[in-house]
Amino acid sequence: MLVVALSASVFAQGRGAPPAGRAGGPAPSARATAPFDPTGYWVAIVSEDWRWRMVTPAKGDVVSIPLSAEGLRVAEAWDPAKDEAAGEQCRAYGAPGLMRGPTRLHITWQDDTTLKVESDYGTQTRLLRFNGAGGAGEAGRAGAKTWQGLTSAQWVMAGGGRGRGAVRHGSIKSVTTQMRPGYLRKNGVPYSDRAVFTEYWDLHSEANGDQYLVDTNVVDDPVYLQTPWITALHFKKEKDGSKWDPTPCDARF
Amino acid sequence: MKRLCVLVLGALAMSVPASAQIELTGSYVPLLYEDYIERGPGSDLGDFTGMAMSEEGRAKALLYTSNLPSTIERQCLAQAPWVGLYRPLGMRIWSEVDKDDDVVAWKIEGDYLRDTLTIWMDGRPEPSPNALSTAAGFSTGKWEGDTLTVRTTHVKTAWIRRGNGIPGSDQSTYTVHITRHDDLLTLLVIQEDPIYLTEPHVVSRTWKFDPRGNQGGRSICNTANEIPRLEDSGIVPHYLPGQNPEADFMTRTYNLPKEAALGFGESLYPEYRRKLKSLYTPPASCGRYCCGWIERQGLPGAAPGLACNDGGLGDLHPVVRSKSEEGKPAPAKK
Repeated sequence: MLVVALSASVFAQGRGAPPAGRAGGPAPSARATAPFDPTGYWVAIVSEDWRWRMVTPAKGDVVSIPLSAEGLRVAEAWDPAKDEAAGEQCRAYGAPGLMRGPTRLHITWQDDTTLKVESDYGTQTRLLRFNGAGGAGEAGRAGAKTWQGLTSAQWVMAGGGRGRGAVRHGSIKSVTTQMRPGYLRKNGVPYSDRAVFTEYWDLHSEANGDQYLVDTNVVDDPVYLQTPWITALHFKKEKDGSKWDPTPCDARF
Repeated sequence: MKRLCVLVLGALAMSVPASAQIELTGSYVPLLYEDYIERGPGSDLGDFTGMAMSEEGRAKALLYTSNLPSTIERQCLAQAPWVGLYRPLGMRIWSEVDKDDDVVAWKIEGDYLRDTLTIWMDGRPEPSPNALSTAAGFSTGKWEGDTLTVRTTHVKTAWIRRGNGIPGSDQSTYTVHITRHDDLLTLLVIQEDPIYLTEPHVVSRTWKFDPRGNQGGRSICNTANEIPRLEDSGIVPHYLPGQNPEADFMTRTYNLPKEAALGFGESLYPEYRRKLKSLYTPPASCGRYCCGWIERQGLPGAAPGLACNDGGLGDLHPVVRSKSEEGKPAPAKK
């Protein structure tokens, strides 16, 4: 029994569950248990899909995205003037479109359980909540839909959270729901309000001091996609915010 | 009590591995949801977007013609370690262990790899800088949490990306981070080249575990003559400097400013859009590869009533067909 109990307690720390507090105290916060430091200024290196990320491609240029017939029909009907008239210039700046955008990110801890991800591109703010709120949870279903939706997050510890020692590794898994319908691409490639945006955030540190944040992400939309759209994005750490350049949403460029 | 202690210690030993690592063995399919044109039908000529090329790299790339790979000496330049980032087929990963079941090496085979990539995990040192460069290069790996970090050196000269002549020298080194999340495998590849790049070329790609996947086994570089008139002629197909008619292909086709497509490092970063804003107007309509994943107009899976242009994929003939024409062979391309 003791053997089983001890083994189980060690394994129970794996896959997202923060370790329990000692002597029955409160569990350490997401900030305290972070296996890496995601805070700071990060810049997207647009070395992939350049023509679709740095500029607005032609209407109907939907290549690489597994759109359904309905998705293609909606993309063909894109009209930025209509979006402007409706005050919906930010349609391409919802979470899935935003992360592929030519942006810098400023990541900070808003509090012990909330990671704030700001973009200068479109001046947007995402909140990754590690306290169980947001995402597919009860609280998430109750709120109004927004461009950035509600995001629940958890640390996924390397080795399932087993092992001891000073060096710890892990990643963030986040799930975003409750998003307003938006665009995956600036030229009106749509996702619906039923889309679920799942991300895995990994930090890689190089011998020369460079750091890269990789966001492997999955857009799952039963309305406009035939199959989940899966990509990876990478950001490089910057030493400060001197290149931070907030710009408003723009429906055309 | 003594027996209990032994059991407890044994259980703890089993549950606390010496170094965290994750199983990578399996077959993976590439997810062509980024850079589809390059990875599927093939690169646009003169498309150096997303690159930070040196002047020498740019000059060399602009000498390229699509006849160049037809010469025997250059037919293998398209094949390089980690070229799978730009290829349409998948890869297979497995480990080799010693008599104690410790992993000595991870092995990767895949699309357009000239030789199996061997990632040594046994701590062996890197060879001398003067050691032989090989088709697969020399790679060592170490676990950083659940990520396998690889360093590859001693590679041969090979093109970066696919099919439009962006050069990579034999002094290139690669750092690769391989991370698996459930069934998704993400590679972050950082290529440094002091000759042809002004800063590291960084790419992140995702594959999906799929035991039925199209793995694309190791390719043998075919060195047959493809164009008879070139045989024993000494001719090296090329454009002279300043005379490449495709240098402005991206401008003609997508309205991009010429400089934006020619691989200047500043073009990789968001602030470059300030330059682009006054110089760029989107094309009035999509002219090539516009159908996404619904290319086969009139065929199963197509979008009813939507016309699209496949950019010359030939047999697919993505024209809108009437009901009575469905299932008939496609007309010959003009």
